[in-house]
Amino acid sequence: MHALQQQYWSIRDYLSPVLKESKFKEHGRITPEEFVAAGDFLVYKFPVWSWEKGDPSKARDFLPADKQYLVTRGVPCLRRASSLAYTDAEEDAERLLSFADAGASDGDEWVETHAGRKSNSDAANPGEIKDIPDDGPQDDLASGMGSLSVDGPVGEIPDMDDIPDMEEDDLEAGDEATAAPKTSNVIDASQVEVASGNLLQVRTYDVMITYDKYYQTPRSWLLGYDENRTPLTPAQIFQDVSADHAQKTVTIEPFPHSSSLQAASVHPCKHASVMKKVIERMNNSVIAEQLAQQQKTSSPKENKKKWPFSRKTSGGKEIAAGAGEDEEVEGMRVDFYLVVFLKFIASIVPTIEVDSTTAF
Amino acid sequence: MAPTIVQFAPLPSQTHPSFWHKLTELKLDVLKLSDAEVEINGTYGVGRLIKDREGGPGAYVGVTGSLSVEEESFGQAHANPAIGNAPAKGTVKNYNTIEEFKAADKTKLFNEAADKIWTSVQTTRSTSLLNSFLLITFADLKKYKYFYWFAFPAFVSTPAWHIDDTAGWIGVSSPNSGYTHDQLTSIYDQLSKSPKPLSYFLVRSLSSDSIQVVPVEEFNATTDTPTSTSIGFIDPSAQAQNPGWPLRNLLAYLRVLHPSLTSLKILCWRDAEVARSADDWKSRVGTLTLGDGTSPVEPMDTTTRPNAVGWEKNVQGKLGPRLADLAPMMDPVRLANQAV
Repeated sequence: MHALQQQYWSIRDYLSPVLKESKFKEHGRITPEEFVAAGDFLVYKFPVWSWEKGDPSKARDFLPADKQYLVTRGVPCLRRASSLAYTDAEEDAERLLSFADAGASDGDEWVETHAGRKSNSDAANPGEIKDIPDDGPQDDLASGMGSLSVDGPVGEIPDMDDIPDMEEDDLEAGDEATAAPKTSNVIDASQVEVASGNLLQVRTYDVMITYDKYYQTPRSWLLGYDENRTPLTPAQIFQDVSADHAQKTVTIEPFPHSSSLQAASVHPCKHASVMKKVIERMNNSVIAEQLAQQQKTSSPKENKKKWPFSRKTSGGKEIAAGAGEDEEVEGMRVDFYLVVFLKFIASIVPTIEVDSTTAF
Repeated sequence: MAPTIVQFAPLPSQTHPSFWHKLTELKLDVLKLSDAEVEINGTYGVGRLIKDREGGPGAYVGVTGSLSVEEESFGQAHANPAIGNAPAKGTVKNYNTIEEFKAADKTKLFNEAADKIWTSVQTTRSTSLLNSFLLITFADLKKYKYFYWFAFPAFVSTPAWHIDDTAGWIGVSSPNSGYTHDQLTSIYDQLSKSPKPLSYFLVRSLSSDSIQVVPVEEFNATTDTPTSTSIGFIDPSAQAQNPGWPLRNLLAYLRVLHPSLTSLKILCWRDAEVARSADDWKSRVGTLTLGDGTSPVEPMDTTTRPNAVGWEKNVQGKLGPRLADLAPMMDPVRLANQAV
């Protein structure tokens, strides 16, 4: 059934025309050219992102051969999304977000929830992760996780303990210059300099952004690795997706730029309308800002480096939104599309720091 | 003033699922029953400190850069990896049966890999193979299970390198590191503009405000003293007091070619982007000396290869192979089960 559906999608994708007209402010969709422009901006601003070619046989002809999709690797995921479950009792954790710089905000704030709040579980403890119970239907997947351990496989899987132990060879036992693996966790601010050198074991994700021809929006893909850098199972990936989206908008699909790779993907059917709303809001504040700047000064160059919207959280997350600071008022430029898109994705996978591009 | 032994943070491996897909393809269509060694290219990135938004102000999380291999690893090396990434050459040897995999003479394979690095240093004086690695695999194609074991051969230095534990490793942002914000930005620029990726480099202070970054092959033992020159490398470690694994072979390399060396200033480069403020640089510096100072250091015997270590430990922290079980992501039956 799933395969049938995927066939249907690929045919529909094949038949749908390539969007030619720029309409991103009207309906939130972008053309491939705009995708490339926005991607170039993202790569320029945040070098952790890079363009990839992908499998040449899967290349889409409406995108440049060497700019098929965007990728960032090793995005840390510090805790599970379920630990962020949000209740009414925590309304005081909300705070207002202003996308305009302080002062320019006139009722255009957003509400940020979960701010500065301790998470329910001490996710800093790596042992915690396995304790999160899987729901019934995922049990077979979850049990697959058990067999991840090298010496605990069932049935015919060979017992790897039989492998000659290298330690017997005394090859490495006496090496005093090998740092012992550290398992302890979060580094205190005070310790960063004094540095007991804690190495944290966290899940990491590879995040890919492709262009979806049918929905005419970017589409994001996730590939997860656990603390030991072995690939995550779908059930484990869903732990990092907010409960509203897991198994509904986030599913495992074949990655379009590889012949065989499967990755978790956020389904793009609602992307355009959400992006439209966000862009409208941002555009208003950006225009207001630009007008204010024009009136204020005849030399706008001085303000070039200003970030029109910043998120004032403890983590100091800032989104580069140096929107069209050109001489005339044109509102938000399409270059920003992917920066905004990342914010949106961050709301679906709240614990994966896709958006922290400037935070490290 | 007590010197302590420098401990190096082992380089963890990371295999992208696409690597296994490609290996499967290669096994079925090209290699078939051959278990010859295949050249691959991996990359490793700098270790990073990530701000933990939920952990209160100033809480950091260290994420170690790992040597990763992926689908493209079988092709040409990435011509221009992003700054903060270093290419590494390696070989993969895939066994046909689990029995062969188990019975493989790992000591011999490891020694061959180490010998290769050693001869390349001796004959070509090039650093291109210093961070090379070895990977042995067994692919259980029907069950989507892949057994693998990485080795990152690193030469053991006798006597060991020591660092003064009062001075220790310090962040380059701190005032006594000897580097200013502008100088660090200049290093960053020169690294990112370099035509070929510089995994190992020299940072020469020409004057108070001019910094030159050159490949480490140009090291000159008489002019490049610890006061004027730092030895830099792309450091995958995120631990404050432990430099990353690739430094070991770099130190061995410098000692072989310049046997009289006893002291070096090391720059552990950990910045993948320009710091937003002068106190935001993540790289670290430290001055290393050979031996603990109690006995004079013998010049190195450069004719015999020093011992090497470097098999990766498995999840349990023992020396043993790892298992990548891709069934949940590849098995069509399992995928159908979780599809909506």
